[in-house]
Amino acid sequence: MSDEVDTAVKMELYRITAERGRVPNASELSEVMGLPRNDVIAAFARLHRRRLLVPEKRDPARIRMAPPFSGIPTAFPVEAKGKRYYANCVWDAFGIAAALHSDAVIPASDGYTAEPLTLQITDNEPVPQAYVAHFAVPAAHWWDDIVFT
Amino acid sequence: MLLFRSEETVNRWCAAQDRPRRPLITLEQLWRLAVTWYENRLTPGSRRPAADEMVNVFSSVGLTGPFWDPKSDLW
Repeated sequence: MSDEVDTAVKMELYRITAERGRVPNASELSEVMGLPRNDVIAAFARLHRRRLLVPEKRDPARIRMAPPFSGIPTAFPVEAKGKRYYANCVWDAFGIAAALHSDAVIPASDGYTAEPLTLQITDNEPVPQAYVAHFAVPAAHWWDDIVFT
Repeated sequence: MLLFRSEETVNRWCAAQDRPRRPLITLEQLWRLAVTWYENRLTPGSRRPAADEMVNVFSSVGLTGPFWDPKSDLW
């Protein structure tokens, strides 16, 4: 039973995020889905244990990360489908274009100099650039502090 | 993970942060990872790749070794 609720909560969360460009909280999902708010929060917690969502530490009714989407503005905005989304990192910025199956423009910046570096996905490919991504954390430790990763 | 104009700015960031230099990924590799990870994320059956699947995904874009192994304890 909880698996069905978790899937329903996850799907509605992603549907609203894709449609509106922002991640809904437990109250919004409760109202849309006709579920008790505490049931939605409990689903958030189970989905977190499965590493599918990351609730805010101090407010489990809000979502910090619904990969590839960020629940808060970040340095990785993604312009796609006429909306602005926020990604958790450069990988997730590309991930939003992949999840939406959409062209995208990503007005990012250099992680050291802050120089603007614009990325673009067109026709299911990145526009070639010599930029690089640097993974500071090995895969075995990504979830030790997923927000930093 | 962060984006950099070049290897030079990666090195400067690592020095400033007192962090070791880790592998660099091209945009083409990153896009292939993003598609594999997320292209079905808005569908009901989507899930994160399991650990062994992750190793295969990374290997398919040329990323191998313990850094890319979620079960590795070499770090």
